Amino acid sequence: MSITAEETQEQIVAATKARNRALIDEVLKVYPEKTAKRRAKHLNVYEEGKPDCGVKSNIKSVPGVMTIRGCAYAGSKGVVWGPIKDMIHISHGPVGCGQYSWASRRNYYIGTTGVDTFVTMQFTSDFQEKDIVFGGDKKLEKIMDEIEDLFPLNHGITVQSECPIGLIGDDIEAVSKKKSKEYGGKTIVPVRCEGFRGVSQSLGHHIANDSIRDFVFEKAGAKPREFTSTPYDVAIIGDYNIGGDAWSSRILLEEMGLRVIAQWSGDGSLAELENTPKAKLNVLHCYRSMNYISRYMEEKHGVPWVEYNFFGPSKIAESLRTIASYFDDQIKEGAERVIEKYSRLTQQVIDRYRPRLEGRTVMLYVGGLRPRHVIGAYEDLGMNIVGTGYEFGHNDDYQRTTHYVKDGTLIYDDVTGYEFEKMVETIQPDLVGSGIKEKYVFQKMGVPFRQMHSWDCSGPYHGYDGFAIFARDMDMAINNPVWSLTKSPW
Amino acid sequence: MSDDLRQIAFYGKGGIGKSTTSQNTLAALTELGQKILIVGCDPKADSTRLILHSKAQDTVLSLAAEAGSVEDLEIEDVMKVGYKDIRCVESGGPEPGVGCAGRGVITSINFLEENGAYDGVDYVSYDVLGDVVCGGFAMPIRENKAQEIYIVMSGEMMAMYAANNISKGILKYANSGGVRLGGLVCNERKTDKELELAEALAQRLGTRLIHFVPRDNIVQHAELRRMTVLEYAPESDQANQYRQLAKKIHENGGNGTIPTPITMDELEDMLMEFGVMTAVDENMVGKTSSVAAAV
Amino acid sequence: MTQNADNVLDHFNLFREPEYQEMLKNKKEQFEYPEPQEKLVQVREWTKTWEYREKNFQREALTVNPAKACQPLGAVFAALGFESTMPFVHGSQGCVAYYRSHLSRHFKEPTSCVSSSMTEDAAVFGGLNNMIDGLANTYNMYKPKMIAVSTTCMAEVIGDDLNAFIKTSKDKGSVPGEYDVPFAHTPAFVGSHITGYDNALKGVLSHFWDGKAGTVPALVREPNEKINFIGGFDGYTVGNTREIKRIFDLMGVDYTILADTSEIFDTPTDGYFRMYDGGTTLEDTAAALNARATFSMQAFCTEKTLPLIAEHGQEVVALNCPMGVKATDHFLMEVSRVTGKPIPEELRKERGRLVDAIADSTAHIHGKKFALYGDPDQCLGLAAFLMELGAEPTHVLATNGGKEWEAKVRALFDSSPFGKGCNVYAGKDLWHMRSLLFTEPVDFLFGNTYGKYLERDTGTPLIRFGFPIFDRHHHHRYPIWGYQGGMNMLVRILDKIFDEIDNNTNVPSQSDYSFDIIR
Repeated sequence: MSITAEETQEQIVAATKARNRALIDEVLKVYPEKTAKRRAKHLNVYEEGKPDCGVKSNIKSVPGVMTIRGCAYAGSKGVVWGPIKDMIHISHGPVGCGQYSWASRRNYYIGTTGVDTFVTMQFTSDFQEKDIVFGGDKKLEKIMDEIEDLFPLNHGITVQSECPIGLIGDDIEAVSKKKSKEYGGKTIVPVRCEGFRGVSQSLGHHIANDSIRDFVFEKAGAKPREFTSTPYDVAIIGDYNIGGDAWSSRILLEEMGLRVIAQWSGDGSLAELENTPKAKLNVLHCYRSMNYISRYMEEKHGVPWVEYNFFGPSKIAESLRTIASYFDDQIKEGAERVIEKYSRLTQQVIDRYRPRLEGRTVMLYVGGLRPRHVIGAYEDLGMNIVGTGYEFGHNDDYQRTTHYVKDGTLIYDDVTGYEFEKMVETIQPDLVGSGIKEKYVFQKMGVPFRQMHSWDCSGPYHGYDGFAIFARDMDMAINNPVWSLTKSPW
Repeated sequence: MSDDLRQIAFYGKGGIGKSTTSQNTLAALTELGQKILIVGCDPKADSTRLILHSKAQDTVLSLAAEAGSVEDLEIEDVMKVGYKDIRCVESGGPEPGVGCAGRGVITSINFLEENGAYDGVDYVSYDVLGDVVCGGFAMPIRENKAQEIYIVMSGEMMAMYAANNISKGILKYANSGGVRLGGLVCNERKTDKELELAEALAQRLGTRLIHFVPRDNIVQHAELRRMTVLEYAPESDQANQYRQLAKKIHENGGNGTIPTPITMDELEDMLMEFGVMTAVDENMVGKTSSVAAAV
Repeated sequence: MTQNADNVLDHFNLFREPEYQEMLKNKKEQFEYPEPQEKLVQVREWTKTWEYREKNFQREALTVNPAKACQPLGAVFAALGFESTMPFVHGSQGCVAYYRSHLSRHFKEPTSCVSSSMTEDAAVFGGLNNMIDGLANTYNMYKPKMIAVSTTCMAEVIGDDLNAFIKTSKDKGSVPGEYDVPFAHTPAFVGSHITGYDNALKGVLSHFWDGKAGTVPALVREPNEKINFIGGFDGYTVGNTREIKRIFDLMGVDYTILADTSEIFDTPTDGYFRMYDGGTTLEDTAAALNARATFSMQAFCTEKTLPLIAEHGQEVVALNCPMGVKATDHFLMEVSRVTGKPIPEELRKERGRLVDAIADSTAHIHGKKFALYGDPDQCLGLAAFLMELGAEPTHVLATNGGKEWEAKVRALFDSSPFGKGCNVYAGKDLWHMRSLLFTEPVDFLFGNTYGKYLERDTGTPLIRFGFPIFDRHHHHRYPIWGYQGGMNMLVRILDKIFDEIDNNTNVPSQSDYSFDIIR
């Protein structure tokens, strides 16, 4: 019996692979030859045992194809720096970039906005033609003076460069240095994250990481804060607290006996950034956006780092144990205690939702982490990932993805609007998880959808508490009565 | 904007005497009954100095910066009238090393067009800084801007190099728009075989040497007085040279050729041919004087 | 642990549980190095003072929470209003991701738009190759009938010439020579999204009317009886445009809606994704040259387009987002004057119903003070409507309003006793508005979604109005124009007023004596 089952399984996988390969050939037909050649390298069918997914990544998007990617500014201001709550982030350049990214990423925080906290505000130099022609450095100086005047409780300033800054040759570094000195050593961080740099958000993450290194960690004349270390100090790196993700993660780390001294960067503060090198371990959730600074702290300050995954109980338990392995028995016991504590909730969630979701198929297309990280959570609910891809992943992300995906999974890097639509149309998954730009396309097609960047106004999805919400949301999306109404009955 | 409006532009390497040549020529054009507007596209804002007898006139960009934006400007604020009723506008621009002068050129020309600066003139002449260094400095050669470009050059190597580069810029726009190279104007520097070289370069670039302006100190005398030669010494031979150039440009009637720029190697070969440059001794390259002496 | 599989706690309740509250408190005290509480309170209270307001209004360089976006957003919006048209934005690709997200968050609809994906090398060498490849790809993949090109600030700073680039692309075979690729330069550092709308629409019209960039002879106008209608950049485009069509149909007017976005931002969920739907046909766009007149509902969105149309020999009628009775009267009478068609009885009845509704409810609105911000025309339209209702538009603010707009609002104030003591703020932002609301409080605030921060800080109830509205759904489906639109706005205002009265009178044994069931 088992042999037959295996054979059947093999046949199914073979058929899936054949279908996916045919699908790739089919979508490539629409392109002019040159583009087809370029796009072909980004599409593949995963073969079990291979060290990566066999796609090229982190290279330029093809013009005119409707890439879903953003830019370096989005990676720096929108992702890494934006959530640091007690600093003011100036969108330096024309008004648009800051406007479109204003409060749209749901980085939750606690604070009095406009007084000591500034995350959901849009500070911009609102460049006018004269600023382009004559340069914006003098304006930037004045902006900083006005910020100091009107927002006296801010703990620092960052300058998030938009495209024109690099093109007209403004010297934001000199302005920042001058003003920092003038304000008695205030942290002022110039960030060269002009949108035309790099090929996606990804370079913006890197540039932002480097700016933390240069202007926070290695800031000249920085006075160390009073800080008492404990042997159990860790920092959460690469959690942007979307819908409260970092909070539902932090609580688990604290419950196992660790002390979380910093959150990067969701609900984070400048002081937390500064104190991070004092951690005993950096626990890294979004590898893509913050591996750079983690490696730096390892080399410079000797802080080891470990990747973890708090989506779904299987991965959470695995991660808690991995993190605990860096500490003594007390923490290891703590990890087991936490896993045990939440096992009842987990079981209840699975009992309730798994029967409703078992065997359902999912296609994902997200940023640089979730295309692999959320897979375990879906599998805990009995669901299958049949296709996945990254907006701005690199090869190391596709290598890590091999630990998650099954043989025959369709892989698409920097997918175009056309490709994604055709693929979903052919594969007909039960759910698509991607972003706001994709959401309505697929819902029109009658395919249930969840935004997997912003959790679709929901969340948190991290941790055990988040898993309950995740399961409820996926059920709500897939088993929603609205999908039975899409076809008129006549 | 009238349909028979002639739009021309003078390009050339910095320091070549481009502004002097253009202003004198345009002053001479008025004698042919032409009404003229000069648009200075050099941040130095010295393209209209000899016509206005003064330099620092209010530029479009400096006034716009003061007022807040170009939309707040009136055309009267920036347009001055000088010798023989020639209308003068300087685009202006940032101090060296800051901002984007190229964008400034785009801003200014858009402003002038939208505000009717070109109404009632027969000629618009753009005087453009040095090389075509970026998209902004190519603004005057875009479609519906200058129909013909005159490159001011001399027998010096860098001037010829610049002339070739400017031709490349024109070529880029010549196929999509209507811009043509009207010809080279050689402003004599008294280098070896200058006339022959200029003619040869013109031929290689697929154009002609429209005029060879001899060197004459009277130009400097006039300039010290912030005047064109036409105004300072209208009876002089030099004034007649500019009159001839003006007549040729006027008679050219908007015609020209699509330039055929040459490679750096071809340019060097040509200079060698004329003995302006000697063949490079490969052994000499990269050796300091002391090393050379030791050998 | 309070999370529960049977009754899942969402973020709003989850983090209020004691274990989380404790955790967040410790985080703050131990690791955030916060400002002392008394200092926080002191500064917080200081930001509410006149002293702070004066400092705030002295700002010259910094902009905080502006109520405007950049040109290409408007250009993309306008382009989407033409039949099977793909907006193509030449410059950095991140911008396009932003426009698409922004529009989709408001309309809850897909937004199709492509970028030429220029990167660092294109910044140095210019974006010609991106244009050549980009047009070819878009043309082949998405099979649009037209590709409408606009620019990001990157392409504008380096000075890319769209006209030349498009011609070269055609020469290189990216798209057929006769294929329609209208274009508009839309630098983000000039004007706002309404400027971009204007430039893009002008670009499309001059493309069709003036000889397609010199490739065909310019069209010769052959006047007919039709009228053109331009809605402007309008977050209510779906409801508004349909209402206008209904009115024109009632009047028997033959019309062309230019840049008609009412279908593309309201496609059905029926199993198919429509990348294109509705929109002004290319034939109608060309033939719009022949119309008798063009109506613009938002004059500040068409500052360049209307003069272009007028130059071609049409009458142009420029309005400022007409809302309410008088403004709709004026609009209909102008349509009637231009077309010679009488205003039908049906509309007179509708008018009477709106007047009836106002009369029924005016007591609750009369004398109330309102602050409002938004695009220039929308501010003008709404302020006029408020004064018609006997309310006072105390603070009127447009970040993208200029001197001309300011003068117009002043003139509007001067036209009615309800405008007395009202003030207009051109070029100011929502942080200025915050000071205004603290120092000179009003009863209600009109504004887009970002206004909720003002509501939270100052306690001024927000009536959502304008664009974008992300946190309330489907408002774009309901018109604010025509008598029916006036009715919608009236109801929206009244609902908020009554909710507020109820919220202020519902404490048992304290204030609930006024908790009336009849209002």
